[in-house]
Amino acid sequence: MKKYLCALSAGVMILFIQAGLKNEGPANKPELGKLLFFDPILSRDLTISCASCHKPDYAFADTSATSPGVGSVRGSRNTPSAMNVALQRIFFWDGRAKTLEEQALAPIENPDEMDLPIEEALKRLNENESYSGYFKKIFNSEPTRSNLGEALAAFERTLETTESPFDRWKFYQDRNAVSASVKRGFILFNKKGKCVSCHFGSNFALDEFRNIGLFNGRELNDSGRSIISGNPLDAGKFKIAPLRNVGLTAPYMHNGMFKTLREVIEFYNDPGKVVPDAMNRDSLLAKPLGLTKRERDDLEAFLNALTDQSFKQKNKQNGN
Amino acid sequence: MKLFFVSAFLITVFGSTPKNKLTGRWETRPSAKGNITGVVFNQNHTHEVYINKKPFVSGKYSLRRNTITIEETGCNGAKGIYKLIFFSGSDSLRFEPISDDCNERRQGMSRTILGRVNK
Repeated sequence: MKKYLCALSAGVMILFIQAGLKNEGPANKPELGKLLFFDPILSRDLTISCASCHKPDYAFADTSATSPGVGSVRGSRNTPSAMNVALQRIFFWDGRAKTLEEQALAPIENPDEMDLPIEEALKRLNENESYSGYFKKIFNSEPTRSNLGEALAAFERTLETTESPFDRWKFYQDRNAVSASVKRGFILFNKKGKCVSCHFGSNFALDEFRNIGLFNGRELNDSGRSIISGNPLDAGKFKIAPLRNVGLTAPYMHNGMFKTLREVIEFYNDPGKVVPDAMNRDSLLAKPLGLTKRERDDLEAFLNALTDQSFKQKNKQNGN
Repeated sequence: MKLFFVSAFLITVFGSTPKNKLTGRWETRPSAKGNITGVVFNQNHTHEVYINKKPFVSGKYSLRRNTITIEETGCNGAKGIYKLIFFSGSDSLRFEPISDDCNERRQGMSRTILGRVNK
């Protein structure tokens, strides 16, 4: 009898544990979006997810100049960070998407990225018992183009960061949160460096396109915004890149041609030295800035102060 | 010793910048999209503007009676002069433009109503 009771209680316990461990799935749109973001189900050969190129440890950007897609095909542009997009109004380097929902679907269909027609992706999700149930529960609908984009965008909107040393200094009024070099760098950013003319706003970027001089029609032949607008005057213009967590998102620029922040600063200090034959470079960059070595150090320190604390804590935990 | 205490008292009372009723943190109500814009007016006549806890404008301000003059990053260093209108027992605030060449700021300030954030 005693043995029987022991076996019975063990059985009941196992049932309870199993019930507790049972995955009930995402509870809302951002959670569903997160699941999809990390799932290779949205790529043609089931090898690539959004997170393959938008790597969480690097502020949801990539570490290579251009990212490999399905079959290791590479596109021609650098993967931007998928963080701090909630307030952005234009998406992709050439601004081809006007909403985050529209943006979220484009890489799935792009032959250089996940290479899966949306209709095929929806069919897969529909045939997948779990996803089909999640969409039913959250959207009261089967997966559609619209709610797939909505779920992915809802997840991306949760990726806001507000805990950088700069935020601690400016928002929380902690003047010891940053070094004297960072404070000098901030002044340079706003004055002598003229960075603020384009990198203005809560994510340090205007929703605009500028030609910074990385287009010469030869080896630098990506004409950027003009492909979308059809306006030849837009040749060489690209979306102004937001700067939050920029210390983690190397390499830089639309083509990933600069490996470090230092290279970026050296470029802006004298763009003509790096690309002498640039076409229609913005007049803001007509003359060299003439930054001294210390000023360049300060600017770099300021840019690194835009890295959210959560990444530092994570790196510490990982022993990096 | 006596002199020390007298000096300390005088410095405390008269040496620091007097706190004005603008000093402190002010925020809008959440917008339809849930965005909250805010500003911290510091006693040293500097201020920080932010949206959703993200600072995006730093500047300095001066006060003369109910008029504020501001100068900030962005707006190409243009100065803006606004009339301060306190209401709800000085716990709410709005700005009436007097002069500002920076149109974006003028538009933003004109439609902003801020409430004092009590710490």
